[in-house]
Amino acid sequence: MKKENIRNFCIIAHIDHGKSTLADRIMEKTGAVTKRELKDQLLDSMDLERERGITIKLNAVSMTYKNGNEQYLLNLIDTPGHVDFSYEVSRSLAACEGAVLVVDASQGIEAQTIANLYLALENNLTIIPIINKIDLPNADVVKVKKEIIDTFGFKEDEIILTSAKTGSGIDELLDAIINKIPSPEGKDEERLQALIFDSVYESYRGAIIWLRIVNGKVKVGDKVKMLSTGAEYEVVELGIHDPKEKKLNELTSGDVGYLCASIKSVSDIKVGDTITLAADPSELLPGYKPMKPMVFCGLYPVESNRYTDLRDALDKLKLNDASLSFEPETSTALGFGFRCGFLGMLHMDVIEERIEREFGINIVATSPSVVYEATMTNSETLLIDNPSQMPSKEKIKEIKEPYIKTNIIVPSGYVGSVMQLCQDKRGTYINMDYIASDRVNIHYDIPLSEVVYDFFDKLKSFTKGYASFDYEVIGYKLSNLVKMDILINGEEVDALSIITHKDFAYSKGKVIVENLRKLIPRQLFEVPIQAVIGTKVIARSDIKAMKKNVLAKCYGGDITRKRKLLEKQKEGKKRMKKVGNVEIPQEAFLSVLKVDE
Amino acid sequence: MLKSCYIHIPFCKNICNYCDFCKNYYDEKLVLSYLKSLQKEIKENYNKEVLSTLYVGGGTPSALSYNALDILFKITGLFNLNDNYEFTFECNYEDITDNLLQKLKDNGVNRISIGIQTFNDKFEKTLGRKINKKEMINKINLTKKYFKNVNLDLMYALPGQTLSDLKNDIKCFINAKVTHVSTYSLMIEEHTKLHVDGVLQINDDIQYKMYKMITKMLSCNGYKHYEISNFSLPGHESKHNLTYWNNLEYYGFGAGASGFIGKIRYDNTKSIFNYIKGITRVYEENVDLVKMIKDEVMLGLRKIEGINKNDFKNRYHLELNDVFSLDEMIKNKMLIETKTNVFIPEKYLFVSNEIILNVILNCNLN
Repeated sequence: MKKENIRNFCIIAHIDHGKSTLADRIMEKTGAVTKRELKDQLLDSMDLERERGITIKLNAVSMTYKNGNEQYLLNLIDTPGHVDFSYEVSRSLAACEGAVLVVDASQGIEAQTIANLYLALENNLTIIPIINKIDLPNADVVKVKKEIIDTFGFKEDEIILTSAKTGSGIDELLDAIINKIPSPEGKDEERLQALIFDSVYESYRGAIIWLRIVNGKVKVGDKVKMLSTGAEYEVVELGIHDPKEKKLNELTSGDVGYLCASIKSVSDIKVGDTITLAADPSELLPGYKPMKPMVFCGLYPVESNRYTDLRDALDKLKLNDASLSFEPETSTALGFGFRCGFLGMLHMDVIEERIEREFGINIVATSPSVVYEATMTNSETLLIDNPSQMPSKEKIKEIKEPYIKTNIIVPSGYVGSVMQLCQDKRGTYINMDYIASDRVNIHYDIPLSEVVYDFFDKLKSFTKGYASFDYEVIGYKLSNLVKMDILINGEEVDALSIITHKDFAYSKGKVIVENLRKLIPRQLFEVPIQAVIGTKVIARSDIKAMKKNVLAKCYGGDITRKRKLLEKQKEGKKRMKKVGNVEIPQEAFLSVLKVDE
Repeated sequence: MLKSCYIHIPFCKNICNYCDFCKNYYDEKLVLSYLKSLQKEIKENYNKEVLSTLYVGGGTPSALSYNALDILFKITGLFNLNDNYEFTFECNYEDITDNLLQKLKDNGVNRISIGIQTFNDKFEKTLGRKINKKEMINKINLTKKYFKNVNLDLMYALPGQTLSDLKNDIKCFINAKVTHVSTYSLMIEEHTKLHVDGVLQINDDIQYKMYKMITKMLSCNGYKHYEISNFSLPGHESKHNLTYWNNLEYYGFGAGASGFIGKIRYDNTKSIFNYIKGITRVYEENVDLVKMIKDEVMLGLRKIEGINKNDFKNRYHLELNDVFSLDEMIKNKMLIETKTNVFIPEKYLFVSNEIILNVILNCNLN
């Protein structure tokens, strides 16, 4: 294939705007798959992805397409739509020259449309804007066109109208991809520079690296070197996906494909790293900064004897998900478990669900925490991802917490309630852009910790589901934060500690204590629940002693029924965690989350 | 050794709103067919052991016609009883007459249990039964003329009941000067009229106060609290009920009866029509050693004196304290251990399930 006939592109869109269906249609049109092979949304291969309608892991597919008399190679790299996975978006963008920007004809521009477009522009990609789902009865092409023109500055004739469902506009889109997106610039004669944009794990072949050859070429048998780690491997297999795997002897500049080199784990590979030939190394490509986990929580097996199973599950998940981090942690309340780091709440949800679903392990998750930065009085800086590890107040000079900048797109009628919500979440108003006469993009700086709880749910309910939300992390800011501990029957329960802004501590403490009072069943003795900051009690509620749990009937013959009643109670007891003398149900550990101010 | 037998008579002239026992409206023809099946069941199963307790409960056994009673007593005559046997017969106070009492006495009955529940006619509608305090007292006194050993059932935690209502009731029970009082807190069970009508259980804190009041008042008047819900004058504990609490085997005959014979616990059908057709047991469960020992705890700890460690050892050739890890509970005063016994302190009797569960969860057998 001639270099000038290669096009590397991706599709970017807000969630549910039809990106995956569009990818399917393109594959069908180019003959990469027949209609019969085309299960709905071929690129979303994980069950969970299909169920939730989201793409988590990206995939790449190579297609040949005849346009006029020329044969073209189109490499499509799929991208996840959700904000948590924006680092995956940036990976795929770095491997492309162009991006198709999909906007739903009935929804218009949404928060992730904007966030993803900005990422694409940062990577100097050529953008092809399209309006999709034009077949929908409530499509408003004129209005959405105006939004795209006004917000992003595209010209009207640049915008392509498509329906991935009916297939209309797909030919025009393919023409635009070929005519507008530049071919890759690299040269085969240069030294090898290949960008790793993803890796997956397979038990037989080990880690499979997805890469884009920027310059030079690589052959099976070549000895390659990872530039940033220095590790060297021998290439065992090379190939592309069309979308079935197709082995090749060589990949050359401009190609998007995969490489296997008997690498034992994906953790040995740094996504964003540059692969070169060990014999003749090149320079490091400008990688993109690796995304750090933003949200942490403790995961504990409900049955403590499944600790090793949980570790195995996390190990396996990590093989394919380098962004997942975990290390063993011990909680006096919950026993042995793991402190896990996630990109965001969705990532956390997905991992928790996969552990329960794919590995059959019941887990207790503690409330999520962000990473705080504490400067100690001795000028040492500590990064704290677990509230119970916060040093005592006297030792801390100051605490900083991560902030985000929001894109919240809502119909203008909801501006008031969104602002109220952001204000309640300690947000600082920045500004507001009008996307259309009746839709705005609201920018606030908000502490990330306020967003990881229930922000998105609240936003949805405040706006009747109309709001879309995206954010970027903008850095750390000084905050007046305190650690609040919860004492149950006088004992500190480490898994319930939280870090909170001082001004909100009283109200949060009250709610948490009240929630726990409702969730923890009465015990044989009165159980005080206290929220404390340092040694100061800021809220207290008592669970009264249990007064009745007896079979107070005078007849006696039906012993089996008595036993069954007890058995039922016994099962309930087994699901509780015992902290000191108090039996605490699993839900209690998440109750700190449900703080409604 | 089998020493007890329960016989269920599932017929009533009135169905009370709270009752979830096996019962049917009285119908003479049905009763006669029923008694025929009862006789058959007993003849087929009873192995001529010498029994020490016999209990005819219901339903309302006293609702039977004299003709039916004669047939019933012919059946109970099949049992060999020892010298100091206890033969209890449940009566509805309205059925009690000189003739009935004489008939019961003539046929070997020596203990009468009367389902008084409450003397307070304010609960007539809620409970769905006639409550006439004066008549109740008369009938109790009449019964006492024929029988020394009389039990009264006392029900509390009635919807709308106040502590002073209960206090007045307890006074009446004490004044009746009977040998035994069985108490029970009203449970609103599914499939009862109270449940269907959406009547709510009164709250646990008040129930506990009521229980304390009963315990205190009866104890102060010479009654011995010997089981969670049972009180008696010294020496008048219900031998039959102790069979249950001591985890001993017993026959259960009749529709809706349960029994425990040869390490098997069984339940009979609750349908009298099926029973008449000859169907008896509908559920059987083998009680292995571990189950047996756990039942022993579940039942034994209902007794105020608790479990006798020596008896336990003689029975199972195991030490109670080895089978169950009790130290922590004893340390926390959830259980009290003396030289001979382990029991639940009075303070925790009304939450005894919690304690029993904790003991069972600390069982070292599997």
